[in-house]
Amino acid sequence: MEKANIDFAIGLNAYETVEEIVDKCVEAERLGLDYVWIGDSPPHLYCPSVAAAVASRTEKIRIGLGLLSPLLHTPDQISGSIIPLIEAYGDRFEICLGVGDRSQLSRVGLDTKLAEVWIHVLKAKQKIARILRAGGVATKIWLGAQGAMMLAASKSFDGVLMNYASPMMIKWAIDKVKPVSRKDFDFGIYAPAYVYRTWRPQAYRLLRIASAVVALGAPEAVLDEFGFSKRLGRALEEHEARLRIESVVKHVPAEVVDSFSIYTPSSKLSSYLRDLGDLGVSHIVFGFPQNLSKVTIRDLASALPNL
Amino acid sequence: MKLDLGISSSSLLSEAIQFSKLAERGSLNCIWIREDLNAQQEIFTVASIILQEPSRVRVGIEVTSPLDRNISTIARAAATLSQMGRGRFRLGLDAVRPNALMRDAATLLRRIWRGETVTFTSDRFRLSNYYARYKAGFATPIYFGVRDTKLLALAGEIADGVILSGPKRYIEKAVAIVDQGLGKRKRRRKSFRFVAWVPTVIVDKKPDLHLARGAVATVLADTPKAVLEMADIAQERVEPIRAMMAEKGVNGASRIVAEDLLQQVAICGSPEEVALDLRSLEKYGIDEVIFGPPHGRKPDRAIEEMVQAWKRLT
Repeated sequence: MEKANIDFAIGLNAYETVEEIVDKCVEAERLGLDYVWIGDSPPHLYCPSVAAAVASRTEKIRIGLGLLSPLLHTPDQISGSIIPLIEAYGDRFEICLGVGDRSQLSRVGLDTKLAEVWIHVLKAKQKIARILRAGGVATKIWLGAQGAMMLAASKSFDGVLMNYASPMMIKWAIDKVKPVSRKDFDFGIYAPAYVYRTWRPQAYRLLRIASAVVALGAPEAVLDEFGFSKRLGRALEEHEARLRIESVVKHVPAEVVDSFSIYTPSSKLSSYLRDLGDLGVSHIVFGFPQNLSKVTIRDLASALPNL
Repeated sequence: MKLDLGISSSSLLSEAIQFSKLAERGSLNCIWIREDLNAQQEIFTVASIILQEPSRVRVGIEVTSPLDRNISTIARAAATLSQMGRGRFRLGLDAVRPNALMRDAATLLRRIWRGETVTFTSDRFRLSNYYARYKAGFATPIYFGVRDTKLLALAGEIADGVILSGPKRYIEKAVAIVDQGLGKRKRRRKSFRFVAWVPTVIVDKKPDLHLARGAVATVLADTPKAVLEMADIAQERVEPIRAMMAEKGVNGASRIVAEDLLQQVAICGSPEEVALDLRSLEKYGIDEVIFGPPHGRKPDRAIEEMVQAWKRLT
């Protein structure tokens, strides 16, 4: 597989110190990764500020901000972050909009159960694009999507980052988006990942938690579609009751973890990437816990073609 | 008494970075960024970029409202900036009443930064089993940028500092009200900071006064009745300025700002005169004064001249 066909990114959940995150991004750039994505969620550090710190210490790696939820940030605030970042550090920023982690948003008083929530995201995108255009800035705007309605809405964006990892589920999601008339539209995935040369139990434990969070946050229709609803019954109940995820995760079956994560020894990654390339995926974000340490990032980089 | 520098979030970013370098070179104490809601630049991001500059100068946000962002977002943005600045960041908070909102906001921010799991419901805030996964690392001082008398007293009671802006006579009286709040604390906080932000302009030539009059018109148009009363400025004198501001903007309004109002609300003159005037606020108990904006016709030169004059004075 040609490197040029797929961009590789590492996703960073911003709950470490700024210094630790920056160090990992510097390492990702040194290793030749194309992107870092800096997450944004109520319990994490503030993504635009972390992006400024990362940009000031790196030179060329592209920096994704998000997923940014328009329920948490107004379009003016989002565009108002991108404009000065680009002015200060150059045109290497992209953003991903989406509803966000429903459980985390509900903890800070934001209701994501509104039927029209996807329209809110769509309107935010239009306003952000308008402000950026007026400011002479052309930033790629992705949509982070999982359910059928959001996937269909992604046609109005520059690309979609699908919260899936298994080729079967990715194919299902791509079919929900297609047909897309624009040639510059990108299909990407953003999934919990653990690609390893030496297996570490701590990383696997964290992968289970990260995958469980994604699965438990998935729309009911998606869980029904793939037959996960019954198997996640007790975990869903405990998650709804806002119990700590560490205790909920023990009720999430291993096959669910596998379906929602990129979990493979580094020697077998290339065949997975080939499958995704065949499906038309051109952007892969290796999410938590791949960013656990510089070692796990190096493990990933060593398995990626032509880095 | 320390000298700070004030800029607006609507300033050009290149200008803001240049000013931060001038502040570092001049050993100023803090750069305060005032949030302009019409600005194209988000204030926490601008502050982050300034904090990336190698500097010992503190960076403060004056002020953000707990109503414009989710309280968890303000908490994490401030915690991120405090980490980035290794304790050089200050957070200014403002809201137009009620008292309870500001008390709740300050309390919630500190609980979140302490790593508590927070459940809290009020008219404005709703947190349920919320906890930060980041570690705050460095303390973020909370400054109240308020003008209402009850909020001034509350600032003394619970904030780490207060930013006072308004006519000089008002500032004198406001300090006394904040002091009453400070008196309610079990232990009087020696570290509490009184900061004054008065429009300041270095006047080179007479036409530069137009800048000062513009700043005064803008301030007065936005000044509540209670503040005007405390400053002994009759409401009838401000009404025409407000009306002209609405009709013809700052330029029009600046033309009808009388000399005595200019002297009451702004500090302008040669660098030495401005430095002396700012310094005179110390007698009211002010610990820090913020220079500008609009600084002067050529802001970079005005800042440099001001720094020199301040050094000569101290």
